[in-house]
Parts: sequence; structure tokens; C-alpha cells
Amino acid sequence: MEIIQKFGLEAKLFLFQFVNFLIVVFVLKRFLFSPLKKMLDERKSRIAQSLQDAENAKIALENADEERKKILANAKSNADKLTASVKASIDESRTEAIEEAKQHSAQILEDAKHQAAAEFENMNKEIGKISVNLSGKVLSKVLSDLFTEDEKQKLISRALEKIDENITN
Amino acid sequence: MQISPDILFSIMGFPITNTVVATLLTDIVIIALAVLVSKAVTLRPGSLQNAAEAVIDYFKDTAENIAGERASFIYPWAVSFFLFIVVSNLLAQVPGFESIRFYTPVSGHDGVAFLRAATSDLNLTLALAVASVIATHCLSVKHTGIKGYVTRFITFKMFPVFLFVGLLELVNELAKFFSFSFRLFGNIFAGERVMGTMYGLCSIGLPLPFIALELMVALIQAIVFAMLTMAFMHIMTDKLH
Repeated sequence: MEIIQKFGLEAKLFLFQFVNFLIVVFVLKRFLFSPLKKMLDERKSRIAQSLQDAENAKIALENADEERKKILANAKSNADKLTASVKASIDESRTEAIEEAKQHSAQILEDAKHQAAAEFENMNKEIGKISVNLSGKVLSKVLSDLFTEDEKQKLISRALEKIDENITN
Repeated sequence: MQISPDILFSIMGFPITNTVVATLLTDIVIIALAVLVSKAVTLRPGSLQNAAEAVIDYFKDTAENIAGERASFIYPWAVSFFLFIVVSNLLAQVPGFESIRFYTPVSGHDGVAFLRAATSDLNLTLALAVASVIATHCLSVKHTGIKGYVTRFITFKMFPVFLFVGLLELVNELAKFFSFSFRLFGNIFAGERVMGTMYGLCSIGLPLPFIALELMVALIQAIVFAMLTMAFMHIMTDKLH
């Protein structure tokens, strides 16, 4: 008993300290642990959500990259097809144009030939006429002294007829 | 300096000692801090919330490492013991804590200290020890069941070997009251005596290293009490033991 007194142990004080500590535990649980635990759990879940979002974003990025590559490949393929098609179309057009030009030039050549032939014929006729006139004049000049007028007319007529036949043939 | 706390006055027969006043001051500081933290709990913690989270996280992680799922029941007790003891011990290190004098009809010319470290009162340390042991046993009943709890102390397997082991366990449990209470009380009370002696020899310079030592003791004793409580709670709530 003496040692208990020496240490100042007293039931009332002991009970006060015991109850006081339990009250502190209750207050800490109510005001510190509960809100902090709630907040820590929320933070933990947010971090987990953020990590999940980051993972999803990474997957989405990979998918987008894959999609981009596919689109690029498609676009390249389409572009190649289009280029080939355009090239073929251009070749065809060129061939057609060349063909058309050839035909056109042949036509022009043909027309020119016809025109030249017609011109040549006309010229022949003109030359013939001129020749007949000239021949007539030369003959009348040469024969005027040798033949009578009547004979002269007959000879000229026969000569002109011959010349005309030659020219026509 | 006497071992027992000084009685300042009485209220309806209840003695108000200087350690009781210090205990109430400790309560006020803890409750104020708890309310301050709870009022400003955010996802981006401030310095106070950060400190509270650091303490709680440390004990929660330690409890999870040793007790697994039972950690959620264990760590609140450990944190409560730690906070109460560390605040009480650190308040006693505030300069001038014991310098405030209180005069009573029996105190004489010098009066008595109005405040004294709460943990230098055996009533408090014993109350903490009893709270720790009772909480441990309550958790043991909760997690191992009445049968598991009783067979921890009384069993007739391999009679009388395990009965004797159970008896030793019982003695061990009773020894916890003494080990918990006297370890804390002895360290803090001895620290106060050392500090008093050093201030008596030379109040300038000489006490500085001892202040540092007492700050360490204040922290270490709080951690030791909390850790031992946690370890005992883990052992008593584990069905394997």
C-alpha cells in the first residue's frame, strides 16, 4: 500500500485517465480516422481509375495508330489505283488523239490530192483551151498566105479538132 | 520532485493534479488537431493533413504487413496510443512547461508546478496499459471466438503441458500491465529528473543535448507503446497462436 501511495496511484485518477483515453480514441475515430480513411480510399480509387484511364488511353492510341496505318495503306492503294487508271486513261486518250490526228491528216492529204487532181485537170483544160486558141492563131497566121479563106477555115477546124482530141485523151 | 503528481485542488472530492491538467491540455491539442484536419480534408492535402496521413499510413502499412486483413481493427488503436503519448510527451518539452507555479495551502513558499508531463503519472500510463490490454483481448474474442480465446489460456491437450503453457500466457498478459505502464512512466519520469538536474546545474547550454535526447525519448516511447500494442493485437487475434 505504501508503494502505491508513493507512486500516487489512485482509483479515481486511474479511472479518469482510462475514460479520458477512451474518449480521445472515440474522437480520433470520429473526426480523424473516418474522414481520412474515406478520403484515402477515394484517392486510391481515383489513382486506380487514372491508371485504368491511362491504360485505356494507351490502348486507344495503339488502336488509333493501327487505324491510321490501315487508312494510310488504303489511301496509298487507292492512290496507286487512281494513278494507274489515270495513266491508262491518258494513254488511251493519247492513242485516240494520235489515231484521230492520223485520220485527220490522211483526210487532209486525200482532200489535197483530190483538189490537186481537180486543179490539174482544170489547168489542163485551160491550157488546152489556150493551146487551141494559140494554135488557131498560129495556124491562121501561117496559112493566111497559102490558102483561101474557106480552105483556111476548114484546115483550122480540122486541126483544132485534132488538138482538142489529143488534149482530151 | 516527488514520484506522485501534485494535487492542485479538488472538485467534489476529485483530485485535480498537475498531470490531470496536462492530460486535459493534451486532449485539447489532439482534438483541435483532429477537428482541424477533418474540416479541411481534401484530395490535395495541406501540411497538417499530410502529417496526419503520414502517421496513419505508417501504422496502417505496418499493421497490414504483420496482421493482413485484421489491420483495419488494429491500426486505429496504435495511432491513438501514438498520438496521445507523443503529444503528451512533446508538450512537456515546451520550454516553461513546468515553470508555471501554483500555490496551495500545503505547497509552501515555492508552490507546485501547474503542469507536469502527463505520462510521468503512473495513473495515466497504467490506464493506457489497461486500455491496450483490454482492447487486445476484445479483438482476440472478436477474431478467434470465445472458444479460441479461452483455449489460449486453459486447455487440456497433452495434460498438463499446455495447461502450464496457458498459465504462463496468463502471467504474460498480467505482466503487460506492468511492462507497458512502468516502461513509459519510468522513461518520462527519469527524463524529467535528468532535465531538472541539468537545469539546476546550468540553465544555459548544458540542457541542450538532453533536450534533444528527451525529444527522441518522447518519440521513441510513443512508437514503442504503439508498436507493442500492434504486435500483441496481431498475436492475440491470430488463430494460429
